[in-house]
Amino acid sequence: MFRPLATAALALSLLSPAHAEARSLVLAIGGEPEGGFDPIMGWGHYGNPLFQSTLLRYDAELDLVGDLATDWRLSQDGRVWRIRLREDAMFSDGTPLTAKDVVFTYTAASTAGGLADLTVLKEARALDDTTVELELTEPRITFVARLATLGIVPAHSYGADYARQPIGSGPFKLVEWREGEQLVVAPNPYWHGGEIAFDRVSFVFGSEEAGQALARTGAADLVAVPPSMADAAPPDMAVLKIDTVDNRGLAFPMGPARDETTETGAPIGNDVTADRAIRVAINQALDREALVALALNGHGRPAMGPADGLPWDNPEAAIPGNDPTAAMATLEDAGWTDSDGDGLREKDGLRAAFRVLYPAGDSTRQALALGASQQLRAIGIEAQPTGSSWDEIGALMHSQVVVLGWGAHDPSEIYALHHGDYAGVDYYNTGHYANPTVDAHLEGAEAAGSFDASLAHWQAAAWDGETGFGPKGDAAWAWLVNLEHAYWASDCLDLGSLQIHPHGHGFPITHDLPSWRWTCE
Amino acid sequence: MSAVTEPIGAQPARLRTPYKRAARRGTLALALLAAILLGAQLLPGDALAIDATARALPPQPDHLMGTDLLGRDIAARTLAALAQSVQIGLLAAGASTGVAVILGLGATFGRLADHAVGVLTELALGLPHFVLLIMIAFAMGGGTTGVIVAVALTHWPRLARVLRHEAQTIAASDYVAISRALGRSRLWVARHHLAPHLVAQIVAGFIVIFPHAILHEAGLSFIGLGIEPHLPSIGVMLSESLREIMAGHWWVAAAPGLGLMLVALAFERFGEALRQVSDPAGHIT
Amino acid sequence: MTAWLARLVAGRLIRLAWLLPLAAVGLFALISLAPIDPVQAYVGGRTSQIGPEQRDAIASAWGLDRPASERFASWLGDLAGGDLGQSITFNAPVLQVIAARLPASMALVGLAFALSFLLGTLLGLVAGATRGRWPDRVIRTLAVVLAASPGFWVAILLVAVFAVTLGWLPACCAAPPGQLASEVTPADRWRHMVLPVATLSVVGIAPLVLHTRQSLIAFLDSPAARHLSAHGATPLRLAFGPGLRHAAGVALTLHLAGAGELFGGSVLAEAVFAWPGLGQATVRAATGADAPLLMGIGLATLLFVFAGNLLADIAARLADPRLRRIA
Repeated sequence: MFRPLATAALALSLLSPAHAEARSLVLAIGGEPEGGFDPIMGWGHYGNPLFQSTLLRYDAELDLVGDLATDWRLSQDGRVWRIRLREDAMFSDGTPLTAKDVVFTYTAASTAGGLADLTVLKEARALDDTTVELELTEPRITFVARLATLGIVPAHSYGADYARQPIGSGPFKLVEWREGEQLVVAPNPYWHGGEIAFDRVSFVFGSEEAGQALARTGAADLVAVPPSMADAAPPDMAVLKIDTVDNRGLAFPMGPARDETTETGAPIGNDVTADRAIRVAINQALDREALVALALNGHGRPAMGPADGLPWDNPEAAIPGNDPTAAMATLEDAGWTDSDGDGLREKDGLRAAFRVLYPAGDSTRQALALGASQQLRAIGIEAQPTGSSWDEIGALMHSQVVVLGWGAHDPSEIYALHHGDYAGVDYYNTGHYANPTVDAHLEGAEAAGSFDASLAHWQAAAWDGETGFGPKGDAAWAWLVNLEHAYWASDCLDLGSLQIHPHGHGFPITHDLPSWRWTCE
Repeated sequence: MSAVTEPIGAQPARLRTPYKRAARRGTLALALLAAILLGAQLLPGDALAIDATARALPPQPDHLMGTDLLGRDIAARTLAALAQSVQIGLLAAGASTGVAVILGLGATFGRLADHAVGVLTELALGLPHFVLLIMIAFAMGGGTTGVIVAVALTHWPRLARVLRHEAQTIAASDYVAISRALGRSRLWVARHHLAPHLVAQIVAGFIVIFPHAILHEAGLSFIGLGIEPHLPSIGVMLSESLREIMAGHWWVAAAPGLGLMLVALAFERFGEALRQVSDPAGHIT
Repeated sequence: MTAWLARLVAGRLIRLAWLLPLAAVGLFALISLAPIDPVQAYVGGRTSQIGPEQRDAIASAWGLDRPASERFASWLGDLAGGDLGQSITFNAPVLQVIAARLPASMALVGLAFALSFLLGTLLGLVAGATRGRWPDRVIRTLAVVLAASPGFWVAILLVAVFAVTLGWLPACCAAPPGQLASEVTPADRWRHMVLPVATLSVVGIAPLVLHTRQSLIAFLDSPAARHLSAHGATPLRLAFGPGLRHAAGVALTLHLAGAGELFGGSVLAEAVFAWPGLGQATVRAATGADAPLLMGIGLATLLFVFAGNLLADIAARLADPRLRRIA
């Protein structure tokens, strides 16, 4: 009964087109870019636009290396990038990529109103076929992040349908995109970067669950999974846990309660958290390992700063946590004592109490708020966890503590979170933190002559030996945890060395897709 | 829609059975409701806690309906979620009944009002139920309030129509005409003739709306536009269960769905029986 | 014969002519109420890379900084020219987004419509013909239980049994992964349809079963049927002969009038099965605060419900000529 069926199946498989020699790869990592693959609208912000190539790129150590650019220099005043392009770059339609295309891309992106922020670009100009100048309105070293993420589109064929029929000079070309379902790509024969080991790569979209279902039937080779599922990998797949700077922390209101409010009428300042001793004591008291276990189910690592492990991180700025004794000493020294014996400290009649806001829909942040609150109660600080909508958070985040999450491969985030100019702007510097020395360091970083030279300035902003935004200095934040991104990868798939990932699960893992290898026969 | 046309000749028994049936089903449904609300109150404080030592256990004596990947007891969580869903469902069905009463009776205040209510009905029925629910929940910014408002604004047309018809019939009836002729005020007529009839219809309408309210609430929460995920609710549990199902943990989905189905079933049957009592001929559906 | 049809269609079109603009205004007002900031929804997880100036640029590029009345006026103006606006989530014209996703949803809804009609009528007839006996009881219980079951839960159970435990059918998607549309075999397409269609059919089946059963019973109690059965026709024979003719028209009317609900059900079914249809886009539009797309989907589904109701009215009049005299 089964034999004829099996024979028929064998016959069928022989008849179907064989892809025996070059393998095809199926990835279920979600993150469908619903708006399409147009870098000008923001596609590829994680650094490998798949179809397009960028001027620079980050390597696995997050150092900048050239991609389209063979040489890149910043002028003395830090306002003009001069970039030489390689001459062998071709678009997947066979036309060469020239300076004209780069100028077109940068100019269009700066005015498109998409998700690529090039507002600092004043002008892009081509000096000849292979030399481009990008002039900024002011020195801004973090503009290099744009150089490493903005994919170049062809000036001659860019049009309204580009997002769905992208043509670029990147490693792959689009074969088919069935929206909501699947993206199929194939190697771009004109790519300048070398051989790709796969003749077809398919990205299956739909839900996270769908990806897991495919993994279990062996139909997918790499699947993004939530941390809670990570350890339940099917037999022939390995669990891949990747460190990230997708972080969560407590943002403190830095000044005492003021009479004025923000433009939208939100109150500013909090008398309790305005005291540095409170903020430092919280940093000292928190047992971040316990929070990782509680809120992330063990899938993460403690966060000591906003960019743990990235080149612009300054580990010196941190202070040790999980030390309630030291925290209590800090509080005692500053005059916070429990005079009425209710377990809660007071100072001059002011109770050491504030609210910790978290978006009600986010169970991770909820667990963090609950866990931190429990730990702080032990040192006599009452942090009341309060689940709210984002609207309510917006109205209270300048006067209460909020659980916020950041983490990007771009130090401009450090600037936005800590510079006085960003006080009260969107979700950035919610605490209205302003320290002239820190501001000067941040500005110094942006004005640096090269990205490498800027690193010391970023680090000094966190802690320069005397002050800084880090816990050793002003303790503007109490960082809690860094998330971990989990994947199931086929045992046969060699992904090479992996970066620390930014905020956002999924596409970042494809950063080095062109160099992945299949190790089984 | 469900005009019951039993064979002729069974008349004597029929006079009482619908009432008996309604009473029986009503007792059952209300007992279930009370058991859920009471049971959720009696849950020990740590019943919903995460337990890393008891992850993804199939049903067993310690955990009658098993545990999920975080080690939470499914039975306890289902009970808490049902209580949550039932309370929100009651609120939403109540609000919807209120809308139906206002619009149904409002329609009897002249032709213009009648037309206005007619137009509103056409609009409310013009979109698929669930699409309209999504739109309203979105307009409210999601969350529990969004669910309640969405359900309230979408489930009224049928009851409103029944009430309008009933009020018009009574207003046109002989005994109202006689009362008015005897010099009774409009208010007196409304209180003594209209109210008693309508109250029965309103209660029946509320019971009919309720199961739909909890089912739709679960649907909205399932797609992430309903009850906030940190509150235990059936829709959220089922949406979380989806990923565990793929790992073969069927029990994670079994209990919440079954619980919701039983509540909906009990009240749907109760509502059906009530409707047969209050509208035996089934002419106002 | 056609006079009543023309009158009916004309009447319904007039109703549509006032319903559509009213619905547009209503929907727009509703969507404008939403407390969700569309720029923030668009920026989403990239907050750190999009500065305040770029936010302003986004708002002005997509017209999100203009007052609601102005946005509505320009949307209405574009609508007159057949343009439903631009979807910010999908970075494409709304019409194109809907056109790209409608076929997948329609395949589900259409098949489920046909299947639930066949199955519902069949079960209803069997139940009516065996009134009071065990097939009737089983079918009635099934219908009542299905009516009280959340459709998406049924979907999850189907996945658990047929996809995960037995491994007979795929748990998701509309086609096997890794294949181009041109490489997918019809057999594969059908396999992927089975579970979603089964789920969706369940949504519409219960009222149909109960109603068909009821109208068959009414027929079997009629003098005509008593006469036939006195001549030796069995209830089953009667049910699938004249009973079917008697019940089918009403059943079809009922079923068409409920077709709109099938689309509602498909939103949930698509969520469970990761089906690339309009239902998923609806959810995405709501979470992305994509007002033009939501408006477009609202109006499209309104037309869908309208068409279902119109066809139901026509079916009712075909089945019962007496109705044709009423408009």
